[in-house]
Amino acid sequence: MSLTLDSLASCWQGLIPATLYTCSRDGIPNAAYLSHIEYVDSNHVALSFQFFNKSRRNVAENPNALVRVLDPDTAQGYALRLRLVRSETAGPIFERMALRIEAIASYSGLKGIFKLLAADIYEVRSIEPVADDVAGAAAREGLGRRGSASDPRFTMRALQDLSVRIHRAACLDDLLDSILAGLDEIFGFSHSMILVPAEEAGVLVMIASRGYPENGVGAEARIGEGIIGVVAEAQKPIRISGLLRALLYAHAVGQRARASGLCPPERIPLPGLASPESQLGIPLLVRGELVGVLCIESEEQYRFHEEDKTSIELLGSYLAIAIQNMQLQERAESAAEEALAAAPEAAPTLPVHPPSRVAARREVTYYTGDELIMVDGEYLIRSLPARILWKLLTVREREGRAEFTNRELRLDKSLNLPEFKDNLESRLLLLRRRLDQKCPDIRLVRRARGRFGLELASEVTLSTRP
Amino acid sequence: MLDRQLAEFLEDGLAIYIASRNADLEPNGAHVVALRVDDDLQHVVAFVPTVSADPVLDDLRSNGQVAVVCTRPPDDKGCQVKGVFTDAGDAGPDERAWVIAQWERFRDKLEQVGLPRTPTDAWVTWPCVAIRFRVNALFDQTPGPGAGAPLA
Repeated sequence: MSLTLDSLASCWQGLIPATLYTCSRDGIPNAAYLSHIEYVDSNHVALSFQFFNKSRRNVAENPNALVRVLDPDTAQGYALRLRLVRSETAGPIFERMALRIEAIASYSGLKGIFKLLAADIYEVRSIEPVADDVAGAAAREGLGRRGSASDPRFTMRALQDLSVRIHRAACLDDLLDSILAGLDEIFGFSHSMILVPAEEAGVLVMIASRGYPENGVGAEARIGEGIIGVVAEAQKPIRISGLLRALLYAHAVGQRARASGLCPPERIPLPGLASPESQLGIPLLVRGELVGVLCIESEEQYRFHEEDKTSIELLGSYLAIAIQNMQLQERAESAAEEALAAAPEAAPTLPVHPPSRVAARREVTYYTGDELIMVDGEYLIRSLPARILWKLLTVREREGRAEFTNRELRLDKSLNLPEFKDNLESRLLLLRRRLDQKCPDIRLVRRARGRFGLELASEVTLSTRP
Repeated sequence: MLDRQLAEFLEDGLAIYIASRNADLEPNGAHVVALRVDDDLQHVVAFVPTVSADPVLDDLRSNGQVAVVCTRPPDDKGCQVKGVFTDAGDAGPDERAWVIAQWERFRDKLEQVGLPRTPTDAWVTWPCVAIRFRVNALFDQTPGPGAGAPLA
């Protein structure tokens, strides 16, 4: 059976670096490691062009090249004989390759330095298995965590199970947790997080996570930075395997670039796992509007296969609609119930659970300039959730009132909520989760749709600073 | 051409590939299990699995032009050694332990960066052909803006 490019999908993951062989016009051969190789169609591949190096000069003089790739599922290597056809600096292939490189670069503070200059498109003239990568099937057993076509995760049954969980969710809180629990328990993706756009332009804020020692709620990612930020910016999914190797490669580039004075020394810390090997970022889009970003991580080398990405993209669309619908539903129901509600001081309709940890006294400081709240000298939250919490605490202190409605928050001009799509319910959820994590003796407790209470299990002292 | 420090780097246990080209300027390449630098610091021996050496050997016997790229996995430090083929022969049994020890050092480095040893379990590492060449150029291959600069 003759080999085809379509049968080598796993080889483009970059888990094991590909090698590129070229030759100058005067007959001097050259070998180099390739940063990225991408499938274009059944007869073409694209190689990343990031630096003006010898390989690039050689193919400009002599278009013949050879690439060796390794299938991480089978350990079989392949030699592809190539001929340079053209270079692309725009278009879908270039953008796909650039996106992946940009995501890795942003982790290393190399955005704009470690970047794709062109996607070089090569015609594939032949594909042959290489002899020195083959030591028998027995030696290869256990390499791939699964065969390329076996053990499908995204069965109809699994998707149906997740769908049932989503439909059972009564509120945004439940929905987000159901999604992440479903990804873990049904699909085996045990480290995941969802970020939503913050009210501050260009910022995403984590609203739910699963599988991490710290839940990280309130952590921020800037659009365009890191895989999450790049996914949000491009509104396209990114899957990266062998992330550690890619980061080391980028780090090596960074050291050289910094030594040359080409870039600042900042390094953006990875959210989530300390050493993720595989990441999958999925934009949650509804009619082109970014509802959030789902990021799934793994410490495994080759966790997300081609079929995972495709399936999760489809799933992402479904989740985006579910989240947006829940946000709209909560807002509509809040408005309806508020209209019927009695005085804000009405008795709670939901059980109140005592906090698990109690501090005798809390010093809560609101920094008006930065609009952030510190509790006992530690950062709690900023921006709109901080303004909301400060309002609740000051009303409680001034008026002795501890029951509130979403409606009164919406009407409070001092909170400066957006007129359109204020996402108040998401912000309250974020604030509630952040309090649960950082100071569980200050709690927001849902009473009913659109109503909640502020419960304190400690003495709270309020102060403001500029 | 080489100095002792660079020789030690080349023999440290690296990811190594050898490149050649045929009369039509079409490149060929093969995986290299180990490198040895001769005491004269002018010649390098590349140990290439016999099973995959033929295309490269054919090229080298016809035109002699050779390049070897090596990279150290933990930090991606790399160099390119270019030269002219001098001779080749089957690696001797007495060389096997030395060659495999260097290969294992490379696999240790893979583990340091989180890459499993499993993919390389499947690679043929013996028997090898010992391909000797005289070095005539050295280039920095560490990725980044300085990649490709002459080392000597």
